[in-house]
Amino acid sequence: MSNHQQHPKANEKIRRFPKAFVWAHAINGIAFFALYITALPMYTEFFDWLYPVLGGPAGARLLHRIFAVIFITPTFILLIFSPKFFFKWMKELITWKKRDLEFFSEFVKELFGFNFKHVKQTFFNAGEKINSVIQILCAILVIVSGFTMWFPGFFPRAIVQWGYVLHNVGFGLGIAVIVGHVYLSVVHKHSRPGYSGVVTGKVPAWWAKGHYTEWYDEEVKKGNFPDLDDPKHKKGA
Amino acid sequence: MATEYVKLVDVTKCDGCRACMVACKNWNDLPAEPEEFSGTVQSHKKTTADTWNVLQYIEHENGKGDLEYLFRHSSCFHCTDAACEKVCPENAISYSKFGTVVIDHDKCVGCGYCVQNCPFEVISLKEYKDKNGKEYKLSQKCTMCTDRLEEGLQPACVTTCHTNALEFGNKDEMLAKAEKRLSEIKGKFPNANIYNPKGVGGTHTIYVLTEKPSVYGLPENPKVPTSAVVWKDYAQPIGKMMIGATTMAVVGAFITNNIISKRIKGKEDGGEGHE
Amino acid sequence: MTNHWNDLQYTDCALIIGGNPAENHPISFRWLTKAKEKGGKIVSVDPRFTRTSAMADHYAPLRSGTDIPFIGGMIKYAIENNLIHKEYVAKYTNASFIVKESYKFEDGLFTGYDEAKRAYDKTQWAWETTEDGKPVKDETLEHPRSVFQLMKKHYSRYDVDTVTSVTGTPKEDYLKVCEMFCSTGKVGKSGTIMYAMGATQHTVGTQNVRSYAMLQLLLGNIGLPGGGINAMRGESNVQGSTDFALLFDNLPGYLGMTKAIPEHATLKAHLEKETPKSGYWSNKPKFIVSLLKAWYGPNATADNEFGYQFLPKGNKNYSHINLFNAMYKGELEGAFLFGTNPVVGGPNAGKEKEALGNLKWMVAVDLWETESSAFWQKEAGSDPAKINTEVFLLPACSSYEKEGSVSNSSRWMQYRWQAIKPVGESKADLEIMHELMTKIKALYKNESTPAAKQVNAVHWNYGEGKEIDIDLVCKEINGYDVNTGKQINGFGNLKDDGSTCSGNWIYCGFYPEEGKNLAQRRDSKDTGMSMYLNWSFAWPMNRRIIYNRAAADPSGKPWSKEKAVIWWDAAQNKWAGYDVPDFVATKKPTDPGFTDPFIMIADGVAGLYAPTLNDGPFPEHYEPYESPIPNAFSSQEINPAITLFDGDFNKRGFKVDYPIVATTYRVSEHWQSGTMTRNQEWLSELVPYMYVEMSEELAKEKGINNKDEIIVSSARGEVKAYAMVTKRFKPHTVKGKKIHQIGMPWHFGYKGIATGDTANRLTPHIGDANTMIPEYKAFLCDVRRAD
Repeated sequence: MSNHQQHPKANEKIRRFPKAFVWAHAINGIAFFALYITALPMYTEFFDWLYPVLGGPAGARLLHRIFAVIFITPTFILLIFSPKFFFKWMKELITWKKRDLEFFSEFVKELFGFNFKHVKQTFFNAGEKINSVIQILCAILVIVSGFTMWFPGFFPRAIVQWGYVLHNVGFGLGIAVIVGHVYLSVVHKHSRPGYSGVVTGKVPAWWAKGHYTEWYDEEVKKGNFPDLDDPKHKKGA
Repeated sequence: MATEYVKLVDVTKCDGCRACMVACKNWNDLPAEPEEFSGTVQSHKKTTADTWNVLQYIEHENGKGDLEYLFRHSSCFHCTDAACEKVCPENAISYSKFGTVVIDHDKCVGCGYCVQNCPFEVISLKEYKDKNGKEYKLSQKCTMCTDRLEEGLQPACVTTCHTNALEFGNKDEMLAKAEKRLSEIKGKFPNANIYNPKGVGGTHTIYVLTEKPSVYGLPENPKVPTSAVVWKDYAQPIGKMMIGATTMAVVGAFITNNIISKRIKGKEDGGEGHE
Repeated sequence: MTNHWNDLQYTDCALIIGGNPAENHPISFRWLTKAKEKGGKIVSVDPRFTRTSAMADHYAPLRSGTDIPFIGGMIKYAIENNLIHKEYVAKYTNASFIVKESYKFEDGLFTGYDEAKRAYDKTQWAWETTEDGKPVKDETLEHPRSVFQLMKKHYSRYDVDTVTSVTGTPKEDYLKVCEMFCSTGKVGKSGTIMYAMGATQHTVGTQNVRSYAMLQLLLGNIGLPGGGINAMRGESNVQGSTDFALLFDNLPGYLGMTKAIPEHATLKAHLEKETPKSGYWSNKPKFIVSLLKAWYGPNATADNEFGYQFLPKGNKNYSHINLFNAMYKGELEGAFLFGTNPVVGGPNAGKEKEALGNLKWMVAVDLWETESSAFWQKEAGSDPAKINTEVFLLPACSSYEKEGSVSNSSRWMQYRWQAIKPVGESKADLEIMHELMTKIKALYKNESTPAAKQVNAVHWNYGEGKEIDIDLVCKEINGYDVNTGKQINGFGNLKDDGSTCSGNWIYCGFYPEEGKNLAQRRDSKDTGMSMYLNWSFAWPMNRRIIYNRAAADPSGKPWSKEKAVIWWDAAQNKWAGYDVPDFVATKKPTDPGFTDPFIMIADGVAGLYAPTLNDGPFPEHYEPYESPIPNAFSSQEINPAITLFDGDFNKRGFKVDYPIVATTYRVSEHWQSGTMTRNQEWLSELVPYMYVEMSEELAKEKGINNKDEIIVSSARGEVKAYAMVTKRFKPHTVKGKKIHQIGMPWHFGYKGIATGDTANRLTPHIGDANTMIPEYKAFLCDVRRAD
């Protein structure tokens, strides 16, 4: 755990995510849970009591399809309003280095509250990358198989039949990862500060530096962020 | 288990009169649904939500170059291992004490999973309107007149069949009959076979066919779709387990975090915490 | 049917020709399926591979209208290969009879032909008789003028090559039919011929059926279980309607209609002329007098010839085509259409529709408004402003809404009860007739014109007021003693002295005593050989197989144990067996006529030679009225004895314009003109569209694809339909040339749920030489794509 001097600008909020991403993420998240809830009674009989709430099976189906369409829109929002960010994100996802692996052992410690050290990370840490990758894969699975389920008449039966399985797998995997993702962002004390990042797009500078050192330092070089390592500040602290 | 019953369809005795189709509509009170002209005598391409059995007419030139005009009463097979029953998310499909596969329309939500997974493609969805004009869907197929069976009657199609091409009775008896019939017709129809596919655990509508199943548009080796098995026997339970596991992990993390941070707080006097 | 439906299970071979029972008489296959299970064979002969062909062991195609060559060749085959049942032929048929020298047959014509009248002098075909008027016989069958030798000579021209070149049947298929069916000539075997309108609806329809009967007699198949010639009737009660004189030239029970000829001037003269000296018809006076007593009651007395003079007498041919011809020419004032729909069902239906417009009034009695009762509407293509016919539509109720009987093809009179009350104001036909007659009688009450006399004489005693008691009608049909009111227990007890009445002598015995209507019996216990003698009532006298005496040899022993029906039981001193003997049960071996099984025929034996028919004593092939080829057997192209109609009423087509043979037929799902079925959703969805079946070869030639809309045209009209291109139709090879044939259902019209063009707009107004049944089954046409 770093135990550095508090920099005066340490609590200053710096922009981590563009507005488009904030919107995209919010829409995506809301749609995901809406999809989850509208499909729950179909997934297991235990939740059949949801049907009356959702307007019967037909209502649930309709809502599910509406949210399915909404669920797809974030990609386009990003592509249209912030393609730069989108490609950066993609680039991050395919860039894997040794430190990404180191991250995981430390992450487990962090997760359960043990002592850990920050492995220097770029814009996304390896955990986030894994989250993104899995979520994207799951989303593709769920969307593609969802299409076959929605329009079974346009696909060979075998595709539709496997569609059910893949929808299930995609969703099952997705929800499992999401539970962790939500926990970390909303509850877990170390990553919690990042939560504001997906709400306002801004995070505290100190937190960003701690979690995404390489990225932060790069932005500092570009003059975008305050240099928290500036010795004169250190002194004055 | 109570006695299992089987509808035996001996296509060699069917003369294609279609009384079975009308009797079915009559008993089950199903509306007519004329289709476009098909170019053949066949009235409906396949079974639908309102047409639970369809008489197929097939013009087939056999190995010897002779024309055969084949008739087949096609309806639900009532599989012993029914894919529809397996995939139904609402447990709306079940096996009756007669061995028939029935849909409970109070439970059916019209998701159509059964429609897509039936290896014989005999289940269909239909949209209905309730008295408030609200639309809802139900999945429909031949019930083998289970309501009649409960009253000690035979299925309507069987009762009306005048050539005994359709017979209904005790499973063993029907199977024996099928075997006997097969031996009688083998000479005339070398490709004759009994269609009681093992891939679905055997069926409760069993055929004596004169030609290979594919000639009748039937799958040669139908089975419960592998996808349905993967889905229902693996993916779904594992999925549920995974949600459980991550939830447990999160809960565990929350607890350990609290314990550890309290301990650390105790030691370091609240030195931790970024906020 | 000489036999009955259940009896089909005993057949060793069923030759199905001119019928498609799997489709149109499906119940037959309940029994044919059983026959097959026992090793019986089915042979299907049809222009098209039908559902029946699908169920058959062997299928042979033939061109429509060539049944006589087909069967003629089989007759030759059976004789030449010695497959006939010799003793049966010699003893039970007129094969041994010697025909007068005047009989000749040359180039398609029998002797005595009058070209101007298009009719024969039949006396030239008579028997050579002994001094007491009996035919001279030669039981060795060797006499050159014996029927057998004449027949042999006649059919010697029907060799396999000529036959198959005319019928278009592949030779090997034809020979296989011969072999399979003629094998039933063996003792211990029986074969049945099943036919329907495919046989009868030709200009040679009667002779088609005759040829079947001849073949069956040669093979010894008449009277035996699993044998016979079996006409599959086209509707549930057509047997009943012909039994009850729906044919124009009959009185009930096949008594001949009275004519305006000197021989019919008085009852005495009529009976003298029409009563044969021998055979069961020698009892005819009893039947006629009892009929007159039933109709005229107390108004029929010995003094007024039992009301004989009240019967109408006319010399015209009042068949369907002639009636419509008269209507077309404006000679008819009004018409009642009871459950009939000629605008769909009549030949050359377009003209029949026009003809209806020449009536002053028309009363249609039907369940629905039909194409005929609506003939004047715009929908029908008519201009209502130009039609002056006053049309009444009386709603009739369906069979389920009334009580009464139907007689099926097995001659079973089956009583049925009312299931539900009639819908709306609809009424049973009987009630409608009752109200009509009651009102007509009231109108004529005080008149004394000839018509009034006839009406006033009718003894209408079936109930008071508006209600009619059907039981009283039943009792009168059976007959009773007019003095005591006691029911008569069988036609043997009818009298010619006016003491008994009977509305239809052949049904006498179905209501033998008060409270015992045998048509109501429903005992489904098999009384032996599937005769079910306690189920309903079969006329005559509950006999299930007619001519069953022929199932036993001349000594009275069954020809074989397997095919036993009745036999002479010496111990009981009477005929015994599974069926009611169609014979005098007490006739002993020593009695005259013991060896004469065909009791309804004056000679006591069956007629291989029939000198009574209008177009010759032997069936001879003539091409249909419209044919694609010249007649290969003679220079007579068409039946020389048919009536021709000229002019607009019946345009004739020729092969230059219409090279394709067409036929019409029915489907399981629709009935007759479709009125009953095209108004029924569940049946309409099964066959919702008018279609035309054709071969892949023809479709290719004409550039027609399956499902295309096409136009079929004949000299009389055009119809639009869907093309159903099928392997089940193949072009015929006739005289080495390819002849195409198409077929279509005739059920469609513009009313109801399932609608389509009416096939009968194409068919000709031409009828059979004996019965005037229209030639619906063979005519010429052309086809083209609709676009």
